[in-house]
Amino acid sequence: MGVNEFEGGDSFPQSENSQRSRREGETGQPAGRLAYVELREIIGLSLWAGQMLLQNGASSLRTEETTHRIGTGLGCDWMDVIITPDSIVVTATDGEDFRTKARRVVRLGANMGRITALSELGHAVAEGRADRGEVQARLHAIDAAPKEYNRWLVVFLVGLACAAFSRLLGGDWPVFGVTLVAASAAMFARQEIEKRHYNRYLMVATVAFIGGLLASSAQLVTDAANVNIAIAATALLLVPGVPLINSAQDFIRGYTGNGLRRGVSGLLISLTIALGLVLAIQFAQMLTP
Amino acid sequence: MITELGPIITILLDAFWAAVAALGFAVLFNAPRRALPAILLAGALGHATHTALVMLGASVEIAVLAGAVLIGLLGELLQRRMRIPRVVFTVPGVIPMVPGSLAFGAMEKLLRVLTAPPDVAAELLARASVDIIHTGFILMALAVGISLPILFRHQKPVV
Repeated sequence: MGVNEFEGGDSFPQSENSQRSRREGETGQPAGRLAYVELREIIGLSLWAGQMLLQNGASSLRTEETTHRIGTGLGCDWMDVIITPDSIVVTATDGEDFRTKARRVVRLGANMGRITALSELGHAVAEGRADRGEVQARLHAIDAAPKEYNRWLVVFLVGLACAAFSRLLGGDWPVFGVTLVAASAAMFARQEIEKRHYNRYLMVATVAFIGGLLASSAQLVTDAANVNIAIAATALLLVPGVPLINSAQDFIRGYTGNGLRRGVSGLLISLTIALGLVLAIQFAQMLTP
Repeated sequence: MITELGPIITILLDAFWAAVAALGFAVLFNAPRRALPAILLAGALGHATHTALVMLGASVEIAVLAGAVLIGLLGELLQRRMRIPRVVFTVPGVIPMVPGSLAFGAMEKLLRVLTAPPDVAAELLARASVDIIHTGFILMALAVGISLPILFRHQKPVV
């Protein structure tokens, strides 16, 4: 979408009445309040917000509500939002005018900072605190925002989280140490692979393999039960929590198709973790005499 | 779990490690900084509740359900107070209760079925099935538990 398409927030919202009378005068028909171009801009902005929400792990209901709020808050009479497993379609209605636009929803990730910012933007528009120019500027800012936390901090804290998990599972202190190192290294590998935009399942299998292999080294310091704890705790960093929880919420609220899509991808990720771990365990057995 | 320390200390330690686990996942999912204290609380409260109930003799599934309902309620409350979507609190909060060990146990037993003699294989298969059933029910308890509060909302829908 071209950037200049969205400029011109100055005509909003004071000029609504003057436009209505002008257009009614031209056609003799009761027309909508918005110019055709304005409708296009509104639909572009709300669709962009909806696409970003879906791609960053928002539930279907939140996406529909926020997209609808932005569309109607910017001046449409109504906005229908249709979320399919791999696309989002919106129809904006203004009087008797309507426009429809669809976008593909690719790559499902989890970025809660973005979901929070987009959700807040939806409320701001609904309460009249943001006009079209403001929405466009904030969407650009949200899209371009870097991650909130330094990557090395993420590596350390995720490693520590898996190590904490090994404590919860009843592991001893040597297992804590092994899990900390294995999970941190696996998280580092995950960042490097994600940076290069490889296939998600390839990433999951590779990271599970690396993590599982490193965690298997716990057998040098402890017994078999503890080795299993180290491997299970390390693999936790790949758990598809966001797709699985969203899947359940989508099912409960009647978005059955989206619930299925998210549930299936969560299940496939879980099976891929298992695949990576199986390979790691077999490999570790070959290495030990 | 270190049971010889007495129940109170065991539960406090449990809450501490659950909070550490929730923090790691909050950072992994890029949660907003101002949500972090509440996420730590959700993780600690949810998992400690689960552990306390297990110690009192409840089944793991019921204990997980109770912990998840608590996290769901907390998420609902914080969503209104802080204007942060509830998923930001609930997902990192329930992660410490994910049955990773059971799922791994099932996988590891299924793998040994490949090379075991027939009678041992049958035994392994049965034990793996039990693990899989537990894993499935615990995951369902998690998902249903945190979603339960939204079923009782009676606000007018936006769309």
